[in-house]
Amino acid sequence: MTIAIIDYGMGNVRSLMNAFEYIGEDATVTADFDELEEADRLVLPGVGAFGDAMIAIDDKGLRPVLNRLALEVKKPVLGVCLGMQLFAKKSFEHGEHEGLGWIDAEIRPMQVQRPAKVPHVGWNAVEFAPDEWLFKGLPSGESDYYFVHSFHMACKDAADVAGTCDHGGPFTAAVRRGNLVATQFHPEKSQDNGLQLLQNWLAHDF
Amino acid sequence: MLKKRIIPKFLIRGGRLVKMRRFVDDQREAGNPVSTAKVYDSYGVDELIFVDIDASAEGRTVTGNIIERVAEEVFVPLTAGGGVRTLGQIEALLKSGADKVSINSAAIDDPDFITQAANRFGDQCIVVSVDYKADEFGRKKVFGHGGSRQTAHDPVEFAQRMQDLHAGEILMTSIDRDGTMSGYDLELISELSNKLSIPLIASSGAGSLADCKAALDAGASAITISSMFIFTDHSPIKVRTYLATNGVNVRNQKGSRS
Repeated sequence: MTIAIIDYGMGNVRSLMNAFEYIGEDATVTADFDELEEADRLVLPGVGAFGDAMIAIDDKGLRPVLNRLALEVKKPVLGVCLGMQLFAKKSFEHGEHEGLGWIDAEIRPMQVQRPAKVPHVGWNAVEFAPDEWLFKGLPSGESDYYFVHSFHMACKDAADVAGTCDHGGPFTAAVRRGNLVATQFHPEKSQDNGLQLLQNWLAHDF
Repeated sequence: MLKKRIIPKFLIRGGRLVKMRRFVDDQREAGNPVSTAKVYDSYGVDELIFVDIDASAEGRTVTGNIIERVAEEVFVPLTAGGGVRTLGQIEALLKSGADKVSINSAAIDDPDFITQAANRFGDQCIVVSVDYKADEFGRKKVFGHGGSRQTAHDPVEFAQRMQDLHAGEILMTSIDRDGTMSGYDLELISELSNKLSIPLIASSGAGSLADCKAALDAGASAITISSMFIFTDHSPIKVRTYLATNGVNVRNQKGSRS
């Protein structure tokens, strides 16, 4: 299987690559249109601000390519952290920005009461349905993942939500809709629970 | 609910781990950073922090090479610091596999740099590291450049200002307690965590399991531990078990993957 980690200049791509290598899959970091077309699976990483990320994607001319691969070819795509947020229709981070629009959702600031803090940084438990394939082999409510974010995804269609988390109130921790899967947390930084999730994604027959 | 974090902090000098006391005297070599990081990873620590202690004085950054090698085998969040004062250095560290960078002297010399860095890489990526100690009148003051330069800043006010400038977390280190294993600065942790809306990582002073609980109970979102792991038989597993059985919300396992 070939995995292409989409390189648009934002994101901790090396850690994702290391995690895939650790579980025995080769991943390449690329923005080359042909390599993206040929890859079996795509990963959209992301660290930073939403608006800057969309500008970076457009600067590389990636938007039409990604739209075609995700929506028409229906290649499996995994979004991580900001990469997940880019799946949404729009974000309210520092103004209002249009996203890729693959999931009917908006990105809104985390609102918490003290003593809870923002950014939401650290390990937090994710809850999911017992038959949720993305978290297969993991216990719901007891599986901790590493989060580091100040904004969260609010989904219009509850059926898209694969997992939830709680920080001053419940929020969406993972989504999946057809060939599209994304996590707000960092599976590549979540030790065994994260590696298990990546294996589940790789093993899933889309 | 968000877990309280246990974070080993590694000081690096010349590619090796070292231990110091109050930032200067009593240097002792403490091992190879990559193999030590792997051991701590197997204990299920929540993050790792690496600081190149000579970097600021020598005008260079923490060896990205060490971060790179650690990131290949250890799948926990990594924070890298030491001598960070340009956006290019931050980008290089993130590319090496760091998730966050800690900024110390540059936050004192050029506070706007914190905002620039947060705008570019996101607030959550920018940890401002504040070193402080008591002056001759017993007033706590922020020190820069590895504790060698005193400033006029009060540490609590300085940390709040860093929050306003878009720091994502504050790492507070008491120079007076560094390497002494005499307990955390609970008074400051309590005051500051009440005033901050961003997470506070408390550093310096851990000498016993009760010290760890006290710092987290005082309001810290995370604690760093260094000497206690290196020079006592308290492992991260022991700290975690103690905290969990004493009502602190910590991660109870490394994970479920067989």
